[in-house]
Amino acid sequence: AYYETTSTRLKTIDAFLVFLMLSGIIQFLYCILITNFPFNAFLAGFASCVGQFVLAASLRSQVNPANRNEFKEVSPERAFAEFALSSIVLHFFVYNFLG
Amino acid sequence: MVGAHVLFLYSLLVAGVQASVLTLQSPRLTISASDATQLRSEPLSLTHKPTPPPTLGSTDVLKLTFQVVDEEGKGVQPHQTFLRFYDPVSGEEGVQPVKVTAGGKAKFDLNMARPPASLPPTTENPLKVSLYIGSFVHDPMQFELFDLVVPPSQPPAQHPDEASFHVRPEIVHTFRPEQKVPPKFISAVFTLFLAAPWVVLLGLWAHIRPQVPHLFSPSILPFIATLGAFEALLVWYWVDLYLGQVLLYGAILSIPTALTGKRALAAVGDWRLGKSSK
Repeated sequence: AYYETTSTRLKTIDAFLVFLMLSGIIQFLYCILITNFPFNAFLAGFASCVGQFVLAASLRSQVNPANRNEFKEVSPERAFAEFALSSIVLHFFVYNFLG
Repeated sequence: MVGAHVLFLYSLLVAGVQASVLTLQSPRLTISASDATQLRSEPLSLTHKPTPPPTLGSTDVLKLTFQVVDEEGKGVQPHQTFLRFYDPVSGEEGVQPVKVTAGGKAKFDLNMARPPASLPPTTENPLKVSLYIGSFVHDPMQFELFDLVVPPSQPPAQHPDEASFHVRPEIVHTFRPEQKVPPKFISAVFTLFLAAPWVVLLGLWAHIRPQVPHLFSPSILPFIATLGAFEALLVWYWVDLYLGQVLLYGAILSIPTALTGKRALAAVGDWRLGKSSK
């Protein structure tokens, strides 16, 4: 049912979300199982996954035509612009912390 | 007026010159036991010390008498008269003021059964006893009287800050062992694991085949290019740049990004609403 009713665009974003989730899980497992040294690198990597997931999820909910009533003032284009800008800011902070 | 002052100072000077040197007349030393039997009694010489040095037992009494006179032989009561007990080996000393009458006569008793507070902590070594005389109108004088042997006392209490004047024991810190990077093989294995989500993503995207029909049109491509330039700037920052530089370049780059972004997203909006002709 999901596959048929979801548009291609939303499925693209969903694939990205899955990718981010897997990435974050693997990093977390490494931190638990092997070592958390250097800790700042783990935090930067993990935070980049989580943050990007949050941004992509909000983009998805804002561009989804089914949510049109919730987001009357926000056009999909504006949502994408916000997504791009906030992603850049997130990447900047992640690179700062990565060391 | 000035002449009167000069005359006054001159008369002082003359008076000073005339009777400026003090000396002791008939200094005498007596040591008696606690039952008042005399153990030793002799006059003191101002030039050599008595031999053998006077020795006091723990209950003996030392008595010192003298008269302070000036050059004419007149008795003088100096302003300050002190007896100093000094141990040259340990450096301990004590000072005892001596009462001198108006006629210059002085008497000092030292009872070892009840020693005065001015007696310093003693050891086996003898104490040097000297007399200091200070006066406003005479030259100051110092007389080395005799070496005194008294029973040794308790050693002086150590000052609470004594330890800080000597070398302290070295401080040894214990540090946590350094954190080590795990073996390269494990890092390599997990890096390969991290390639797995990329495979998943590319596989899903290949399956979904999202369409980007207008990607290379002139209204969209500049925007994509500026976004790519921003990402490249951040990677450059990670590798090489300083914070001030990246913020400056980012601020400069944000202007074309905003302009191209406006154009691109306006075009996308028009396509979505079916308005434009492009």
